Amino acid sequence: MKKAFSNPLTILGFVIIASILLLALTAPFIAPYDPNAIDVKVILLAPSYNHWMGTDGLGRDVFSRMLYGARISLMVGFVAVGIATAIGIVLGAIAGFYRGWVDTVIMRTVDVMLSIPTFFLILAVIAFLTPSIWNIMIVIGLTSWMGVTRLVRAEFLSLRNREFVLAAQALGAKDARLIFTHLLPNSLTPIIVSSILGIASAVLVESGLSFLGLGVQAPQASWGNILTDGKEYIQFAWWLSLFPGLAILITVLGYNLLGDGLRDAYNPRTSR
Amino acid sequence: MLKYLLKRFLWMIPLLIGISLISFFIMHLAPGDITTSEASFNPKASEESRQKLRELYSLDKPVIVQYGLWLKRMATFDFGTSFASHQRPVFWQTKDKDGNVTLGMIQEALPITLLINVLSLILIVGTALPLGVISALKQNQLADRSITLFVFIGFAIPGFWLALILMYWTGVQHAWLPISGLQSISHENMGWLAQISDSLKHLVLPVFISGITGLAGISLFVRNGMLEVLHQDYITTARSKGLSENRVVYGHALRNALLPLITIFGLSIPGLIGGSVIAESIFAIPGMGKLFYDAVLMRDFPVIMGILTIGAILTLIGNLLADVAYAWADPRVRRGVVR
Repeated sequence: MKKAFSNPLTILGFVIIASILLLALTAPFIAPYDPNAIDVKVILLAPSYNHWMGTDGLGRDVFSRMLYGARISLMVGFVAVGIATAIGIVLGAIAGFYRGWVDTVIMRTVDVMLSIPTFFLILAVIAFLTPSIWNIMIVIGLTSWMGVTRLVRAEFLSLRNREFVLAAQALGAKDARLIFTHLLPNSLTPIIVSSILGIASAVLVESGLSFLGLGVQAPQASWGNILTDGKEYIQFAWWLSLFPGLAILITVLGYNLLGDGLRDAYNPRTSR
Repeated sequence: MLKYLLKRFLWMIPLLIGISLISFFIMHLAPGDITTSEASFNPKASEESRQKLRELYSLDKPVIVQYGLWLKRMATFDFGTSFASHQRPVFWQTKDKDGNVTLGMIQEALPITLLINVLSLILIVGTALPLGVISALKQNQLADRSITLFVFIGFAIPGFWLALILMYWTGVQHAWLPISGLQSISHENMGWLAQISDSLKHLVLPVFISGITGLAGISLFVRNGMLEVLHQDYITTARSKGLSENRVVYGHALRNALLPLITIFGLSIPGLIGGSVIAESIFAIPGMGKLFYDAVLMRDFPVIMGILTIGAILTLIGNLLADVAYAWADPRVRRGVVR
C-alpha cells in the first residue's frame, strides 16, 4: 500500500475519486438549489456568483444538477461493476478450480460474449427493456464480466498447485474453504485493480447511453443527459457542454490513475 | 500451418452457435414475449407490429422450433424486412416480380462503417507507433511524460463530448470542416477531384473520434511492449555486436514488440464497430452505428437482430484475420514449433 502511494499520480487519482465521492454523498446538503426546480426567470444564465455553473434551458441550476449527476455516475459505476465482479469471481473460480469440462464451457461462453460488440449488445438489450437507471446498471454489469472471469481463472490456475494450497488440501480442507480462505484472498489485488478500471469504463458507457437518450431519463440529472441538453444550446451556452464533459473526463481519469497506479505497484514486471 | 488454419477456421462454428444462442436469448428477454412488451414504445405500431413480429420469429411455435428457425435465418442471412422503413430488406437486396431492386439496409450501411473503421485503424497505426516508440526510447523524459498524459486523457475523454467540441470549433466557429453527413449538398455538381476532397473533409472528424481511444491504447501498448523487449538479452547482444542504435531499435526490438499488436488489433474490432454508434449518430453518417441507433429508438427489431448478428460475425472474421496474420508473421507459429 505504501508503495502504491509513493506515486504522485496514484495519489492524484485517489484524491479525485475521494472528492467526487464526498460531493456525491453530500449533494442534498451542499446543492444550492433543487436540481429539478424549473425557474423560467433565469433561463440560460452564464456562470455567476448565484449560479456557479450557470443555468440550463429550463432555468435549472447546473451546479446542483452536476452534483446529483455525480451520484448517478458513481452508483452506476459501483453497481454495474459489482454485478460484473460478482459474476466474474464465481465463474472464474469455478473454471479455475474445477477445470475440465466446466472450465471449457465457461471459457467458451466468455469467447462468445467477447465476440459480440459490447455497445451493440447493451443497446440491443435496452431496446427490449425500458431505459431506466436500474436497467442500465444491470445491463452494463451483465455485459462486462468476461475480463474478471478470465482474470480470476488465471489467478486460480496459477495458485491451485502452490504448496500452501496443496498443504491445506492435504490437511483435509474442503473445496469451499480452499476457495474462500486460500485462493480468493490471494487473488484479490488484481480483482480490485480490474474493478477500479471497470468503474471507469462503466461511467463512460453510462454517460454515452444517457447522451444518446437511452440511459438515465429526464428529469433525473446525469452528466450524459445534461450534455445532451448542452448540445442544443452549444452556440450560446458553453457552460452546459463544458462542465459535464469535464466532470466525466476527470472522474474517468481519476479511476484510471488509481487503478494503473495500484497495478504497477503490485506488478513486478512493469515496476522496474 | 495449414492444419492450424483449418483448426482455427472450424473453431468459428461453436462460436457462431454461441452467438445464435445469445441473440436468441436477447430476443426473449422482454417480459412475456417481445410482442406484449411494455417496451414497445410506439402505441400506434403496437398491434400491427406485434402481429408482424409473431410471424417473423414464429412466436406461436415451441421455443425449440423458434430457435431452429432463428438459426436458419442466421445461416441464410435472412433477417426479414424492417418494420420502420417501408418493408426494406434488413440485410441484402431483394428483387420483386417487376424486377425492381430494393437495396438491403445493412448492405448500404456496412461499407460506410468499414471505410471509417479502416481509416481510423490507419490513423491509429500511423500515430500510435511513433508515439509509443518515442515514449519508450525517452522513458521518463519530458516527451514520454507528455505522451503518457495524452494517453491518459485519450482514455478518459468521452468521445461524444470531444465530438461536440470539435464540431463546434472546426465546424461552427470557423467553418473549416463540414459537421454532418458524408457529402455536401452540392456534391453531385463537383468535379471528381472536388468530390473526393469533399468526402474526405466529411470523414476527418468521424475518423478521428472513432480512433481516439484506440490511439491512446495502442500508444501505451507499443510503449510497454518496446520497454519489455529493450530489456531483453538479445538486444544487449545486438548492441554489443556493435550494431547501430537505429538497427537495434527498428530492426530487432520493434519487430518483436509489434507481434502482439496484431492480436490487439483483432481484439479491438468489436470496440471499433460498437463505438461507431456514437460517432455516426453525432455526425449523422448513414453507417451501421447510426442504423442501429435509429433501430433501437424505433424498436425496429428485425434491424436490431440483424446488425447484432452481422456485428458479431464481423468480429469473428476480424479475429480470424488477426490470428492468421499472427501465424504468418511469427515464424514459430508458421513452422509449427508452437501450437
